[in-house]
Amino acid sequence: MNRRQFIKQSTLLSIGGLLIPSALLAACRKETLFEDVTYDGKVIIIGAGAAGLYAAYMLKSKGIDFQLLEASSTYGGRLGKLTGFANFPIDTGAQWLHGKNSILGDLIKKSKTNITLDDSETKFWFNNQLIDALPQNTNIFEGEELPDISYEAYALQNGLGNEYKYIIENIAGDQGAAASRLSVYGNNKDEENWASGDDDFKFEETYFDLIDKQIASQVKDQILVNTIITKIDYSQSEIILTDSNNNTFNANKVIITVPISILKSGDIQFIPALPIEKTTAFSKIGMDAGMKVFLKFSNRFFDQNIIGGAVCAAYADDSIGKAQNDNILLAFIMGEQAEYLTSLGSDAAITSALIQELDIMYNGQASASFIASHVENWTTNPFVKGAYSYSTIGMGDARKIASESLSEKLYFAGEAMNTNGHHQTVHGAVETGYREVINILTDIKK
Amino acid sequence: MKSIIFSSVLLLHIGCTIAQEFKLDASYEYLYSGQWDKAIQTYNVSRPFLTEKQPLLMNGLNTSISYVFKNEKHLKHGINVSYAYFQSSAENENFNNILQLHFINLGYILHYENKEKSKGLYSDLIISATSSGLFRRINENHFVYDETTSKAFGIGGDICLKAGYCLTLKNNYFLSPFISIGYTPYLYSPNSEAVINQTKELTSKNWTGILRTQIGLTFHLKPQQND
Repeated sequence: MNRRQFIKQSTLLSIGGLLIPSALLAACRKETLFEDVTYDGKVIIIGAGAAGLYAAYMLKSKGIDFQLLEASSTYGGRLGKLTGFANFPIDTGAQWLHGKNSILGDLIKKSKTNITLDDSETKFWFNNQLIDALPQNTNIFEGEELPDISYEAYALQNGLGNEYKYIIENIAGDQGAAASRLSVYGNNKDEENWASGDDDFKFEETYFDLIDKQIASQVKDQILVNTIITKIDYSQSEIILTDSNNNTFNANKVIITVPISILKSGDIQFIPALPIEKTTAFSKIGMDAGMKVFLKFSNRFFDQNIIGGAVCAAYADDSIGKAQNDNILLAFIMGEQAEYLTSLGSDAAITSALIQELDIMYNGQASASFIASHVENWTTNPFVKGAYSYSTIGMGDARKIASESLSEKLYFAGEAMNTNGHHQTVHGAVETGYREVINILTDIKK
Repeated sequence: MKSIIFSSVLLLHIGCTIAQEFKLDASYEYLYSGQWDKAIQTYNVSRPFLTEKQPLLMNGLNTSISYVFKNEKHLKHGINVSYAYFQSSAENENFNNILQLHFINLGYILHYENKEKSKGLYSDLIISATSSGLFRRINENHFVYDETTSKAFGIGGDICLKAGYCLTLKNNYFLSPFISIGYTPYLYSPNSEAVINQTKELTSKNWTGILRTQIGLTFHLKPQQND
């Protein structure tokens, strides 16, 4: 071989050595995961909330046989819509889109759904008066090396005394928790993973409408309502589910999207029993009482947000972001306050307690202009039993353990199973829905 | 203005005096990143409402400038600056999503050329610090949330091996086709998944490795050719 031949062959070899592997690599790289995966088995999804509906939507798009079993009489989970109470539709469940940088943010853009930034103003009920700003900074729950103690204890340590009790209850209430139970450390760790943005948006229609029109509409025909699953036998190759009427359903894989409160309470019997580390993980994930009360008035005497009430730590003008503006005040009640109001035993008693508090704040204007109320108590809903999940003291990696699949048969989704900081949210629930479908497809591919 | 022009001319003159070679590259670049692939694949599989799928970030353009110091040995050294751009675009009804990826590398170059034996063949080894910027545009606008642009910056190290064959254009001017292969073992870019799939560490890690190949042309200016 002479030098010229050597150079020529070396060049050809070099080009071939680079371009052929590149071309092969490019051919192997697919735009979508699991493009070629097919599955003949059946997937049953328990719970037709945001996670379950989205998992169903994904399975449908992949051509996989599925069925959605819903315990209540309708789909949507902790999303709901109330019409006729006001001249705008009301969200009885999840209401705010927490950040636009999420999968639902994309869906909203794609569907041209109208949302409005909620930049409403806040007044604080502090030392028996309404004020514009608090004397002390309450933004103390973010940072490094925070202790694994409650919001309540940490606030006291930082000089926020008893006069700040209901201000702190409101901050913890945003996370669906009582200030005495929410972990400063745990919640801060969750916030570190938060990627969807801090701005809150309201829907001109409702959050339920978005999920209903864009997602549920795709899978409605596969939803079986009023089907309360009480037993899941995954001891054999085929999983057998039994409902409260002793009907049975067979599946090869099951996605369980019920609220963490249902898993904690043992309403579903597993055969064989779930591993102890799994049930321990369930027990460590917090879920407190929660309710929303809508108060209708003839006058708009109230401010856009009122924070710090002893009966309800967070009131909000519900007409913000809506096309119409009936005078509807939302009482957003979480944690111990929700437990107390639930203990009163009736919607009338709950409404009365709230009106009394507003009368004190606004010199009797509440009772003078009160028209009607609607109480949506998620705590007494037997298929929800609370608000949404939160990070308890000493929780550790309970969410991760709780969300791990079992025996390639049982998969866990729902907002409480979100391990990347987006729990408590609808978009977080949706993320777990598609995550578990991806996990199923991964297991199938094995 | 005069002083700027004078300074530039002076610098160029000094540069030419001490330079063995200036090189200007333009090339097609093929990129492979496992983690970014995973994030885009997850984005695609998780959004059945988008019929047009997001292409992977793999085809781009690269340009670089190298400055090789004068040296009589076969092995010379110098500095290299490069810029690469990649884009992935998917147009759906009401939703045109574009991912834009930029790289800037600043590196040290080892240039080997044995004029007696290789007759124009040369090879470069480039070790660089690399920085990346990943951005998202929706419907022709930068995606903004919380009044900030959605973006992910990255930083890492890169090694690249390049081989070319020099053709004489005229006196001190040369043109060479070249091929190269580069590897970034670790690019720390913690926000990439948040830009692509709008989640953090749900599907991918906060860093990625990158493999890339290039094919292109280099324009050479060799101001002081003594041989």
